[in-house]
Amino acid sequence: MKPLPNKAAGKLVNLGVFTLLVLSSLLMAYPLIFAMLGSLGTTEDFLRTPWLPIPFSPSLTAYEEVFNSRSSEMLNWLVNTLVRTAWYIVIPGTLAVLIGYAVAKLRFRGRDAVFLYILSSLVLPGIVINIATFVMMARFPLAGGNNLFGQGGTGFLNRWPALLLPGLVNAYFIFLFRQTFVTIPKDFEEAARVDGAGTLRCLITIYLPMLTPVLTVFVVFQFVAMWNDYVWPLLVSYSNPAIWVLSVGFQFMTGSGNLTGIPSTVSFSPFGLAATVVATIPLVALYLSLQNYFIEGVAGFAIKG
Amino acid sequence: MQQQETADNDGARVRAWRHRNREPIEAWTILTPALIYYTIFFALPVLATIILSFTHWSGMSGGPEWVGLDNFRRYLTNSIYLQVIGNTLAFAVIILAAQMLLAVLVALMLNRKIRGRSVFRAAWYIPSLTSPVVMALIALTMISPVDGVINMLLKQADLPPVIFYLRVDLMWLVIIIFSVWRGVGSGVILYLAALQGIHPELYEAARVDGASPARILRHVTLPLLKPVTIFVLVTGIIGSAQIFEAVLFLSRGGPGNQTNVMMLQIYQDIFTNADIGMASAGSVILGVMLLTFAIINLRAMSRGYTGS
Repeated sequence: MKPLPNKAAGKLVNLGVFTLLVLSSLLMAYPLIFAMLGSLGTTEDFLRTPWLPIPFSPSLTAYEEVFNSRSSEMLNWLVNTLVRTAWYIVIPGTLAVLIGYAVAKLRFRGRDAVFLYILSSLVLPGIVINIATFVMMARFPLAGGNNLFGQGGTGFLNRWPALLLPGLVNAYFIFLFRQTFVTIPKDFEEAARVDGAGTLRCLITIYLPMLTPVLTVFVVFQFVAMWNDYVWPLLVSYSNPAIWVLSVGFQFMTGSGNLTGIPSTVSFSPFGLAATVVATIPLVALYLSLQNYFIEGVAGFAIKG
Repeated sequence: MQQQETADNDGARVRAWRHRNREPIEAWTILTPALIYYTIFFALPVLATIILSFTHWSGMSGGPEWVGLDNFRRYLTNSIYLQVIGNTLAFAVIILAAQMLLAVLVALMLNRKIRGRSVFRAAWYIPSLTSPVVMALIALTMISPVDGVINMLLKQADLPPVIFYLRVDLMWLVIIIFSVWRGVGSGVILYLAALQGIHPELYEAARVDGASPARILRHVTLPLLKPVTIFVLVTGIIGSAQIFEAVLFLSRGGPGNQTNVMMLQIYQDIFTNADIGMASAGSVILGVMLLTFAIINLRAMSRGYTGS
């Protein structure tokens, strides 16, 4: 790069930009800084400097409470969330790779029609199917006391299948994998087939290694989406705390939400802030360990979309 | 494939057929179960929601009762529902505009040769990963009427307390700030990627021609950001029109109905009003709105990509 016409002016601008970035970044991080400081302190710390509750004698009592108190089943919710997240990474991931391969690499009649049919869900918001899917779960034949016509019981409501059945064929990720398969020449596969490899072998030994970047993008985005998923789990597990996921349990435990009535009044509480930190740390850790994949993934959607 | 010594004519023909049609067979083996599943869990629910939007149904007992266009007429004439549609559009436009403006500014700053860029980038992007349910707790701690952070500071400054829940303007502001805070990150990353994709020679050429930094920004940088701007617009408007959790947790649509939005109204119609018909009609209207945005923007996008 050539030196700027006026080097001193350029340096001054850079200093100004740097200061602005520091201040704005602190502002962006403020809610999380507030939560971290508050979770280690007491109400007295909060009363002293409400906007930044600096803990004078930091303690982990609030965290102990989050994992041990009777009002919190944090461990249970974490396990439920992890199980559900793993399920929604493994099954939709496998399906998206297989379907992406089929519509990108296999020749058969009706291929474009199938691909378009699946893509059509990309343009419709999730809300359009939530209500009917909810009714379907409640009226599922021969489940939860229902008869063959879905009457008489509660179906899959408040039971695990309702948390695991919808959304396994994900058009977004099928599109993502299909686009990647298209860029890989078929020569590799054909060479392996000459050596006697079947389709499954080709997928696992040839394509999977080449899909690693896009697979990583898929895993991190799906992890974040499922970790934060709230509306559907709330709808279908409302009356069964044993199967609540983190977001639903968190909301009831901290009293931060309900679907009716006036908004909750939330007082400063190290307990709630500790729960906030516990719920957020995995996401921040995921970002920090895979930040380049996040950047690539977000930017990649723009280029491919 | 195993070769059988006593292969009769039929067996050989079947194997030959299977060999010739390997690809269609494999494709349909994968796709048939997937398509059946997809039809049950996507196509049928969409169809069912559309049908339910023409009915009255409590969802509890009895069956849906056909009422024709009644729900849609109510949605588009009742002042409460109209206000909900208006609020949704206003929130979507304001939040998206604020996010895009901020995102461009921050990306331009991050595009300079500056120390600690990845730290700043993390600070701007991590909020996008957080759960709205969880972060709402922090927002509520800030705006709580008596012992919230803001009211504590007002008290220390000997100023009268502010009851946020009763103030329409402040609830709008809180919801907008919360949504922008959670949504601005991906815009920053996208604009930054676009800026870094601009060839340095273009700047060089402009500088040689004696263009000032302001003119370079206006005539080189900003025009080249058009494609990514259209992309952010497409995905952003669809995302921000589905604003839900921020309103649910921070204002619950109040005071009155002044901050209520379509997503929240749909869930209130299910839970509070036990009116599946109106909830379905709301879903269909929101769906049509988003579909319209998508189509308009996709057209603009194909022009934007090929045009400039």
